[in-house]
Amino acid sequence: MSAAFDAFWDDVDAELARVPMAAEMQPLPMRSTEAATTYSVRLTSIGPYRTFGYYSVPNVPPPVPGLLLTPRYGSVNHVPDYMDRERYAVLQVVHRGQRLADQPFAAAYPGLLTLGIDAPETYIYRAIVADCLRAAEFLLSRVEVDVSRVGVQGDDLALITAARRSGFRAVQVSDLLLHRLLESSRRSDAYPAEELNDYLRANPQSRQSVADTLAYFDPIHHAPRVHSTTLVTMSDDQLEPLRAAIGGPTEKYTLSHHGAVDHDWVDGWLARQLGAQPRSRFRAPV
Amino acid sequence: MTQLRNPAAHHPTSTVRPPDFDAFWAEIMATAERIPLNPAIEPLAWRSTEAVDVFEIGYDSLDGVRIAGWYCVPRQIQPPYPGLLLVPGYISEPTLPKSWAKQGYAAVGVAPRGKLRSNRQYNPGYPGLLVDSIVDRNTYAYRGFYVDATRAVDFLLSRPEVDPTRIGVHGSSQGGALTLTTAALRADAITCGAAGAPYLCGFMDAAGLTHSYPYEEINEYLRLYPDREQAVRETLNYFDGINFAPLIRCPMQINLGLRDDVCPPETGFAMYDALTCPKVLHTYEGCAHDAGSYWEAAHVDAFLAQHLQPAAALVRA
Repeated sequence: MSAAFDAFWDDVDAELARVPMAAEMQPLPMRSTEAATTYSVRLTSIGPYRTFGYYSVPNVPPPVPGLLLTPRYGSVNHVPDYMDRERYAVLQVVHRGQRLADQPFAAAYPGLLTLGIDAPETYIYRAIVADCLRAAEFLLSRVEVDVSRVGVQGDDLALITAARRSGFRAVQVSDLLLHRLLESSRRSDAYPAEELNDYLRANPQSRQSVADTLAYFDPIHHAPRVHSTTLVTMSDDQLEPLRAAIGGPTEKYTLSHHGAVDHDWVDGWLARQLGAQPRSRFRAPV
Repeated sequence: MTQLRNPAAHHPTSTVRPPDFDAFWAEIMATAERIPLNPAIEPLAWRSTEAVDVFEIGYDSLDGVRIAGWYCVPRQIQPPYPGLLLVPGYISEPTLPKSWAKQGYAAVGVAPRGKLRSNRQYNPGYPGLLVDSIVDRNTYAYRGFYVDATRAVDFLLSRPEVDPTRIGVHGSSQGGALTLTTAALRADAITCGAAGAPYLCGFMDAAGLTHSYPYEEINEYLRLYPDREQAVRETLNYFDGINFAPLIRCPMQINLGLRDDVCPPETGFAMYDALTCPKVLHTYEGCAHDAGSYWEAAHVDAFLAQHLQPAAALVRA
């Protein structure tokens, strides 16, 4: 990508660096167990804007491996899974606009995907990426976390976060949304990609500016800066160019579409990378 | 040492059908019936296409809560259309059902109370909804939530372009639960239902079989308030899909993932056993909460088309 791309993202980093994190943790007894203590976390990101996260720490002597979960596309993110809370110091990021970080800005679904999309500087994902970077900084700063064993898991945001922040040992990406979004939206009328079609039908003159904006957020342009070991899960070979662009070692997992089988394979891969025990979610109660 | 399970062969349930279950719901539905629907429909031109008109809709429901939804209607097919209600999952936003309208349905994607755009008067949050007022059946979150879905059927019936003799309902997870409850509470109006990985069946059994959300909310609640377990059980029996199942009269298609950690398949089997209507079950080895959706989607399309006969299906035939 161009020098403008690097300058754009360097500006985001610089803007974020000027805003104190002002981390605030509050224990959540309802979400805590004998095995792990869970907290709500408030962090300030660019804007300034106060974002949210669920942070859970195993009740074992530190250090423990860390895991950053980037937010899904939708208004709600679950509390990290019980099995993950037993193994990792795990942070689920909730970006601005999502529930628990929706004051003063509440994201619309559909709507978020095209908010401010006519320019990279105004596109909502600029701030959403900053929210994820701030969360990464928080997790990597925690004394209870073994910083040699930190992973990041999610969609495009996981790959972009790993590109912008060193310190992740493993990256696992799936369900990409922003990668080749213009192309995928042409092949689909399903939301959220259809949001882009709606926008371009109403604003046909914006096609080029939208394409230019999305180029800043397509993970393929961030991939060369990712030097962590990366697992890309895919249904077919369409993500091979993305995998090839990643700067570090990569592996791929081709989905079987048997959700439990796929989950267990990916869980095992990540656990091995981070020195944790693989866990299946489908077990008899202990 | 944990043991893997055999849910098809072993799926006992602790769900009990309260003697006044039918009376409880008859009273709620009678109360709802007295509330004017006050439907509103606003064209959403910029989300409409050559093939589909899109509308934002609203209507009134129990407790005076205003419910939002999306409504999509075919443009290139002549009415009347079969109506199709799409009901959302626990953390999902309601579907904007353009793809269904392209198949010939007048389709509603509803946002029951607490979902975005229906949360001005009631907003328990996520997590939160599952345990909101869980010790009191008369104010439990799903009392209004279930009714909100049934009122979407009334919305469809209020539309002149909809054939009132062909109304289907479909969803997965919480959408699967709402498919069951809507087919049960509006047995007079529903032609068929397709429910994937149904949630809200065998609540307490499910919570005992998993640590995955949303059922983990019940485990968390009872860890803090163990003395309330009996009250929780008593409430949930009034909202359990297993207890709604015998009220359903239309054909139903169910799909389950045999390794579903979110909605344990044991509870889906127990619900399926309780169905007395014409029914079909598809199970998927190795599948979790996806419940075989990669393969099941085509079965759902065919099942709904068979019973609802959208014009696109007639053309294909």
